[in-house]
Amino acid sequence: MSKEVETKDGHIYPLEEKINRLKPEDFKKALQIFKEKINHEYAAYLNSCVHCGLCADSCHYFLTYGDIKSIPAYKLDLIVSVFKGAAPPTHNAAQSAEKSRKSGNVRFFRELYSKIVGAKDFNHQMVREWVDSLYGRCSMCGRCSINCSIGLNIAYLIRMARGVLTAIGLTPPGLKSTVDTAIEKGNNMGIPKEDWIETVEWLEEEFQEEVDDPEATFPIDKKGAALFYTVNPREPMFFPLSISAVGKIFYAAKESWTFSSGNYDVTNYGLYDGNDKGAGIMSNRLVQSMEELGCKTLVLAECGHGYNSNRWEAPEWLRKKYSFEVKSILEIVADYIREGRIKLEPSLNEKPITIHDPCNLVRLGGIVETQRYILKHAAKNVIEMIPNRQKNFCCGGGGGQLAMTHFSERRLKVGKIKADQIKETGAKIVATPCHNCIDQLMELNKHYKLGVEIKTICEIVANAIVV
Amino acid sequence: MLDFLRYGVILSLIISLISLAILIIKTFSFGRSPLNAKPQGDVKRGILYAFGRGMMPWEKESAGKHLLTYVAGILYHIGVFMSILYLFTLLFLIKLPVSFIYMFRITFLVGFLCGFALLLKRWLAPTMRALSCPDDFISNVIVDIFLVLAFLHTFFSHLLLLFFLFAIFLFLYIPIGKIRHCVFFFIVRILFGHFYGFRGIVPPQKKVTFEK
Repeated sequence: MSKEVETKDGHIYPLEEKINRLKPEDFKKALQIFKEKINHEYAAYLNSCVHCGLCADSCHYFLTYGDIKSIPAYKLDLIVSVFKGAAPPTHNAAQSAEKSRKSGNVRFFRELYSKIVGAKDFNHQMVREWVDSLYGRCSMCGRCSINCSIGLNIAYLIRMARGVLTAIGLTPPGLKSTVDTAIEKGNNMGIPKEDWIETVEWLEEEFQEEVDDPEATFPIDKKGAALFYTVNPREPMFFPLSISAVGKIFYAAKESWTFSSGNYDVTNYGLYDGNDKGAGIMSNRLVQSMEELGCKTLVLAECGHGYNSNRWEAPEWLRKKYSFEVKSILEIVADYIREGRIKLEPSLNEKPITIHDPCNLVRLGGIVETQRYILKHAAKNVIEMIPNRQKNFCCGGGGGQLAMTHFSERRLKVGKIKADQIKETGAKIVATPCHNCIDQLMELNKHYKLGVEIKTICEIVANAIVV
Repeated sequence: MLDFLRYGVILSLIISLISLAILIIKTFSFGRSPLNAKPQGDVKRGILYAFGRGMMPWEKESAGKHLLTYVAGILYHIGVFMSILYLFTLLFLIKLPVSFIYMFRITFLVGFLCGFALLLKRWLAPTMRALSCPDDFISNVIVDIFLVLAFLHTFFSHLLLLFFLFAIFLFLYIPIGKIRHCVFFFIVRILFGHFYGFRGIVPPQKKVTFEK
């Protein structure tokens, strides 16, 4: 549970205290938003859990902790119980007594029904459980959904419920500040425009030296380019080599492409705080850039949730059909290989490589075999983790867990499953097309002493490119 | 009395169906605008997968890991569907050949044993018990009793009154509790197939394999 929350008046309050200070109107607002967020899909899910419990050991939280609070069905039930019996708490005893006198029998049957089907009030205790379980015990990886006997999309219901908490100001602080920064400053790390441009120029110079070609460019705001390439802001800050790697691939493929000087952030933490409006603002920036630059394809960097957000969810948040293509950089690279636009020498990547499948890209995004096709051509020795693809385990870093520092102990603990998977392969390199996963894997690497390198797919491709 | 109960069963079934229809209408009244994202896969194939291969124990880890529960669940549901079918033959006075009676008997008995085993699991496994609400037990017990009555009726025809009476109770309970999943299961599987099929996640794509 969160330790602290900073409020507008500048005081530091424990999150617990913030929950305690919720007033009846806050609950009323939350329930109103809850109702507004329910569509027929969610309503069907909320009517259908049979509590078979078979989802339990599909969840890395349950496998780690073994407690009931970590069972996906339990987390779902927190939402279902409110859906079944939602009524804001009445603090006024006199009002409550009057109500009960008036509606005696109806009330009795309602209460009996509530007890039988497990309906519960949305009150302080329930909010506490929502925060702890829906934020602190779920990385929204969707592994439970594919293992659900019925087929409930639990991850999306949890997102919806997180959105309710966000609406009453109960987003865990780290996640909230990430979203706020992205909305206010245009990227989630608050990188000033000049710094971004300077970084790209510096990378361009380095690259020109590397390929000994002064004409090699990392274009910014190039109108009419075929591809508009986005990046995760962590790349210019901490992993500039992954930008260079993509630049090298585009150079080798003689691609017409561009960065945007302003809107380049592929990430969208609105996927994790459940606020569709905020998420829409972030994704719309990329749409605006696409329209301003007149590019044909929006190319999403190696970022799992960025792909899910911008490829699948953003058109729904924005309620519009895109007039352009949205593709993962992996799809572009795979096409280059197929079309012979780039030549790769697998022997340049000799160390054994294993693939980590980011949940948002693979299980929820549908980019499953593309990265494998690429690595088959770019590396000599690739070993699959077991299980893999749609059945792969989450690394623990998804669902905004990396931003919510107060849950980091749990995050590292649940990551042991992934660490063990990696160890089992004996690989020296873990390739993963997601910067969130990379951050988590780097921590796991250190914490569990795995002794591996963590790389993006494009870094491996760039290393194998014959220019 | 028997005719009165016979009509009672039919009436309770109609009430149950109307209530379920209202539930479904209410569910769909929440609405949802058509998807705007460009599809990557085939929705129809996704839905077919959801009702076929996607439920197989070799495809679904949770089913494979809990094979006994999975098989018990299937046999339990077969028993339930057969007992409803049997009820209809009694309601509409359809004479069954003896071999059919034997078949019904076996499915009722196996169905009951599986249902009861699942009930015991729910009661005895601490996580399952903690996960359950009274409805989980009530629904199971109601269906188990229905199966027992169906089974006993194949031997003792004078139990028909009791069987009909209990059928009325069962039908009236269906929309209230979790037995409503008898319709929601199909809706959710379609939604599942649609979601994952639309995104090209299921059916699984042709695998790229690596040399060992």
